[in-house]
This record gives sequence, structure tokens and C-alpha cells, in this order.
Amino acid sequence: MTKTILTVDDSRTMRDMLMLALKGAGYRVVQAEDGVHGLEVLRAENPDIVITDINMPRMDGFGFIEGMRADPDHKATPVLVLTTESDAAKKQRAREAGATGWIVKPFDPAKLVDAVRRVAA
Amino acid sequence: MSDDPFEAIKVTFFQECSELLGDLETNLLALETGEGDIETINAVFRAVHSVKGGAGAFGLEDLVRFAHVFETLMDELRSGRKECDDVTVKTLLRASDVLADHIAAAQGTGAPVDAARSAGLVAELEVLTHGKATPAVAAAAPVVADEDDFGFKPLTLDLADFGAPAELPSLDLPALDLPSLDLPDLAAPSAAGWRIVFRPHPRLYASANDVSLLLRELTRLGQTSVELDASGLPSLEALDAEDAHLIWTIVLTGDVSEAAVRDVFDFVEMDCDLSITALDGGSPSVETALPPLPVLDAATAEPEFDLAALLAQAKAPVEAAPVAAPVAAPAPAPVATAPKPVAPAAPAPAAAPPAAAPSAPAAVAPVTIRVDLDRVDRLINVVGELVIQQAMLAQRVMESGLARSSDIALGLEDLELLTRDIQDSVMAIRAQPVKSVFQRMPRLVREVAEMTGKRVRLVTSGEDTEVDKTVVERLAEPITHMLRNAIDHGLESPEEREAAGKPAEGTVRLAALHRSGRIVIEIADDGKGINRPRVRGIAVDRGLIAEDAVLTDDEVDNLIFLPGFSTAETITDVSGRGVGMDVVRRSIQALGGRISISSNPGKGSTFTLSLPLTLAVLDGMVVSAAGQTLVAPLSAIVESLTPRIEDVHYVGGHDAVIRFREEFVPMVDVGRVMGFRDDATTLTGGVVMIVETEAGSRAALLVDAINGQRQVVIKSLETHYRQVDGVSAATILGDGSVALILDIDALVIAGRRKSNRPELKMAS
Repeated sequence: MTKTILTVDDSRTMRDMLMLALKGAGYRVVQAEDGVHGLEVLRAENPDIVITDINMPRMDGFGFIEGMRADPDHKATPVLVLTTESDAAKKQRAREAGATGWIVKPFDPAKLVDAVRRVAA
Repeated sequence: MSDDPFEAIKVTFFQECSELLGDLETNLLALETGEGDIETINAVFRAVHSVKGGAGAFGLEDLVRFAHVFETLMDELRSGRKECDDVTVKTLLRASDVLADHIAAAQGTGAPVDAARSAGLVAELEVLTHGKATPAVAAAAPVVADEDDFGFKPLTLDLADFGAPAELPSLDLPALDLPSLDLPDLAAPSAAGWRIVFRPHPRLYASANDVSLLLRELTRLGQTSVELDASGLPSLEALDAEDAHLIWTIVLTGDVSEAAVRDVFDFVEMDCDLSITALDGGSPSVETALPPLPVLDAATAEPEFDLAALLAQAKAPVEAAPVAAPVAAPAPAPVATAPKPVAPAAPAPAAAPPAAAPSAPAAVAPVTIRVDLDRVDRLINVVGELVIQQAMLAQRVMESGLARSSDIALGLEDLELLTRDIQDSVMAIRAQPVKSVFQRMPRLVREVAEMTGKRVRLVTSGEDTEVDKTVVERLAEPITHMLRNAIDHGLESPEEREAAGKPAEGTVRLAALHRSGRIVIEIADDGKGINRPRVRGIAVDRGLIAEDAVLTDDEVDNLIFLPGFSTAETITDVSGRGVGMDVVRRSIQALGGRISISSNPGKGSTFTLSLPLTLAVLDGMVVSAAGQTLVAPLSAIVESLTPRIEDVHYVGGHDAVIRFREEFVPMVDVGRVMGFRDDATTLTGGVVMIVETEAGSRAALLVDAINGQRQVVIKSLETHYRQVDGVSAATILGDGSVALILDIDALVIAGRRKSNRPELKMAS
């Protein structure tokens, strides 16, 4: 069964990259451009895994994850935070919001797919 | 479009960069004028952050480094640790210019970045960030240092990794060998193995981490045996499903480094008690059976209790058969009450139900689509042909003598309206706001102001005015040149301005607006205006005009557009470069546009560019002169009339003028000026069209007849033939014949030059 991954990122470049890497690894990819959009797509598509950026307009990644965790259907959906933010505070903040793990940008496809695999049941 | 997906993304990246730079500029300017707020600062941060993120993926290190310093300052501003004052905004604006240079250099479209300037700004940004410049060493590699605490190194995308089939990586994962192993004892593999005691906290589950997956990861590293201590598990009634009660002890054997083991717990190390100790004294017996695993049917809801299935799952890909036994287990008594070997084929516990298939594409579909320009142009071409065909058909029907009220004629009228609608809609696809060009100008103005030591404020308006894409693209250069000119030659130095009673800061206005089916760009400065005596003197010196020429102020001003005219006595860095205003004029004319100047000594000058909205169609008046069919752009025509002999006068005995509403207007004999015939025209049966040039002066074009108004499709004469004076393009008419489209301004000027003067034969 092909797994569906939702990627939430305001950068077109990053969305394209994720799409290329994840599709190449056989996943189905759906995309959203910010947190608000992300929650919409989340409900419409029921993804198995979510990858989200932190810095986004309208609703940032923290808000998105909190919104997601507040939804009983997506309480247990793994979320990987994708960001270049690397200080401990950001990591801690993402974890508090309910992030499952993180991927540090820039990523290479193997690392990305590996991180996804590690949280994918 | 490139076939290489990676290259295609790179193209996207640079497109995105140019959008981000636009946003950056807009937001920084908002901050400068005090219209910005915290969201504006956030938006700037995000723009720089996105540039950095993408640049990192493509290994554009210079760009990453610069963006990082920029981003760090934005982060300070965003968090409120640093105040966003005027000095900061000014520095940020200049930093955005250098960022643009870095992007252009990375893209290969710009000159290499001025390293000194870039380094200077890095230093300035750092001073603003930290209050002092950081040592160069630290600045040199900030990013790498940052990323290290994750155990990841910024790695460039390796293309070979794409397109790999969707299979799990093989067991011996080199990827897990951390690149940044700085602790030798961690790096040293322990041949014996590791004992891992792992006690998840509730948070681990709340963040959707899954013990089974962690165990699966460990299993990939080497031989494992796992014991579960469920002694902490309360009775079912007392169980809080969200609490955590289980402890695992895993014995991992094999040539595995501690770092690799820790890496497995990377995501959860803060959400569990974890102890990893080296196994002493050689390899424990791994070839023994897996511990019989408990399945507590009482609490299947708790993630821990998927253990059996998940262990099987974890184990499955590793070894087909080995049955491992718990190694000397100091762990609390295993709860192994009901041994239950698990089939390796146990299905994975799905985290979520399969996605309900009827996906809502609307949720992800963007509201815009990107289309290859070629396709749009093909469409425009075909629609052009459609317009011609429709005109031909209409003509045939007229010729057939059908009544105007006949169904066919009426149907044809509807068809004409529809055709026009289609054409307008297609043209609208190519229309773009001039914003993309205007956005580049603040930077230019800053740079020129810096170079010339003048203080300049740029005021833009009408950025949303739309015009054909090609026109937008070709506007950049002339506007750039004229802005340079306005600042360099137009504006005075702050001291001169103050002496003249003006504010020290000069103002340059850049405006776009639609006027009578054309787009008008105005560049106005409040400088000293054109020095007419000097302009005139130069024109005389260069032999451009006769010494005794009688010229109006307007005509003097427009002398600067003549080829070979350059007012700068010494070529300056700024507007020199050997390019005169004549080049600007030519590039505008190539677009079917005009340029003119009006100047007010001491008050400033205004350059006015007028361009067609589209390069594809034109509303024209079809006329005939000397047996030739010609098209005059409708936008230039004020009115047409049949001349009366008593209204025609001769100035100085030969220059014909016609009286038109209490005004004498010079007459241009089109047939003659165009060279269709040598002899003079008779006024009899002739028609005069009063036209207005871009400069606002009027002329009377004498033609034989006016055949009607029509929309014509413009076919460039230059691509099919060559440029002809007095002609801007050609078109194909309804009857299939080719007609030339008149260039009114050029025609009027030619009329003045050529001796079309005298012998208008007055047939009586």
C-alpha cells in the first residue's frame, strides 16, 4: 500500500525537492503551502506521514503541529519538522508542539527517505 | 524546460528567488517608511530564510553564507532583541541588494559578487546583530557549525539518489555512520555490543513516536534480543491509556558504534530514560531464541502491546530464521507468560487508515497555472489569423450584396464581437503588471545616489498597470537609463538644491498609467531642468541643427534624443557608458513606442514614454494614398475632415498649413512623403486626418480616401523585410492584401524634413 506523505512548505523549491525525493522513493505526495492550508489538506487526504517547515506565513509549523495534534484523527500521525533552524530552543519548541522528529535542511534524498522510514509504520 | 528534474527544480529556485527578492524589497521599503510591523519583519525573515534553504540544497555556499548572516540579524529583529531602527533598515536594504547579486552570480546571470562589498555588509550586519563584528573565522563557517549538533552535515543533493525504487535501504546502512563523529570513544565500534535500557515517557507516544519502529531500527544495526518489563503496568481499570509503563531492555550485538545506537534514539532521547552500556567480555550468545513475547490482550489499545507484531516486523527484514534468546538478563523478570512466536509476515500496524481515496485535488491545486510562453504565443498567432479571416469573410459578405440586416450579416457581426473578445482574453494572458520592472528601480536609485553623492527619494505609482510581457521585459533598460539620467543630470547636489531653496533630497517619480489604449511611463525629477542654451549650443556644434534654426523650447528639449548628442561633457560613471538618449529612443520605437521630454528650468524634467499595450493588434484607420492602402493607428487620430481650399495657407510661401479650430496645423502629404509618387497632390477628393504626435503637437495628414476603421493584426516589417522610415509595421487586410501601418511621428518629422512644401496643386 503506497503511503501518502503531506509536505507543508511555503517555498516552491523545497516543495519540488521533497516531491522529487519522496516520489522517487515510491511515496504518494500531497502538498500544502502553509499551516492553514496544511490542516485543510490533512483533513482531505489523511496522510500517513507529515513533513512540515517551521517558518511559514499565515500559520507556522508549530501552530500547524498543535492544530494537528488537537485533531483525534491525527494525534498519532508522525510529523517530521523540516527546517534549517538548529538551535536547541527550536527543537524543543517543535517537540513540545508534538513533532515526532526532524530533518535538517539541506537534506539529501537518502537522509530524507531514511528519516521518513524511521517514523513510518 | 529541462528533462533533468534537479535542473528543473533549480530553475524553480531561481524563479522563486526573484519573487522573494521582490517581496523583500517591498517589505523593507515598508519598514523604511514606517508602514511595517512585526509581520513585515517576519516576512523578510522568511524570504531570506527560504533563499538560504534552497541555496543550501544546491550547494551555493557563498549565497548560503551571506543569507545566513542576513537571516541572523532578521531573527534578532523578529524576536525583538534588537530594535528595527532607520540605520538597520538602510543596511538591510543594501544587504538585499548584495543578496540579489549573490543570487545572480549563483545563477550565472550576473557578474561575480563584489567580494569587498559583500564582506563589508557581512561585517555591518554582524555589528548590528552582535554589537560588534565577529572574528572572520567564525563568520566563515557559521552554517556548518550550526548544523552539527544534529549529527547531520549539510549535504548537497546527490542526483543518483533520486529515482531509486521504493525499497528499504539495505541492512548495512552506511548512511548511519555519522559524518561528524568527533568523540573517538563514540566512534569506536564495540565488537561485543550494547545493552540498551529504554523507558519511554508519555511524551514519546504523544509525539507519535513508536517503540516498534525504534526496535526495528536497532534490529537493522545488528542482532538483537529484546525483553519487556511490563511490571509497572497497572490493572486495566487503573490504566491511563496515555501514560507510559513499559521498560525495554535490548541487547544488541555486532560491530556497531555507540553513536549509531544513539542515532536511533535521536528523535526521542529527551522523551525517555535511556541507558546504553557496552557489553563486556565478548559476544553474548545471539544464536538463541528470541524471548517469548507477551501479548496482553487486555490492553491492545496501548501502543506497547503491539509489541509482538512489531517485533516480528522489526525482525522480519533482518534475518529469516534466527531465534534469539534473551541474554543474561539482569532486567526485571520478563512478563513472558504466554510465549507466542510470531509469524514474520505479520502485517505492519498501520499508523493511519488508508487514505480515503477520493482525494480533494482542490485542496492542493494552486489558483494559477504556469504555461509555456510558446503555447500562449501560438494561441495569439492563431487568434490573429482568426481576426484576419473574420475580416476577409466580412468583406466577402459585403461584396456579395447581402443586406446588412440579413441573418448572415448579423451573425457575422456577432462573430466579430466574439473574435474581439477572444483576442482581448488571449492578450490578457500575456499582460503583466509593470511591477516586476519597477521593483528593481529602488535599488538602482540607491546605487546611483550613492555614486553621485546626491540624496534621492523615488516615488513610484501605478505598479499594477498591466502591459504585454514583452513590453514589460524591454522596459527595464530604457527606464534604468532614464532614471540614471534623471539623477545624474537632472538632480542637483544637496548643497545646490538648498541654495536654490529646494529640499536637499531630490524626488524622482516613476509612474505608469493607461492612456487611450497605450501605456504611459513617466519619469519626472524635480531637478534643474534642461539647460536649453547649452543643449542648443551642443546641437549647433555637432551640426545637428543650423545655427539660425528657430526652435521652440520643446523642440530644443527633444534635441537630446538626436543620435550623436550627449550633454555630459565628461562621461560619468553613472549615465555615461557611451549610450545616449537616442539609443533609448530607438529601443522604445522598436516597441512601437514614443518618448518625449518636457522640461521646466529650475523645476525639473519629465520624460514620457508611451507604448502600445500589446505588440499584436492595433485599432487602425484604413486609408489610401497614391494608390496604396495604409493603416493609421486610431489612437493618433483626432479627427478627419475634407479640406477647404480657403483653409489652406502657405507659411513663408511654401509650407502648407491648414486651419483647424483656430489653429494652423502643418500638412503632410502622405503619398509624397512615403515616396509613392513624386508629383504634388490635388486637394480635390482628398481627405485630411488631424493626428496628434506623442509630443502633443498636431499635424494634418493628407490622404486620398478613408476606407474605414478596422482592427488589424500587426506583422513586423523588420522580421520580414527591414525597417522603413515612416512605417511601424504591416498587416494583412480582409481582402488578403498587405497594408503598411504608418508611424505617425516619424511621418510628421519626415514631412517636415522633406520638401513636401510647396506645390499642392489647388485644383479648382
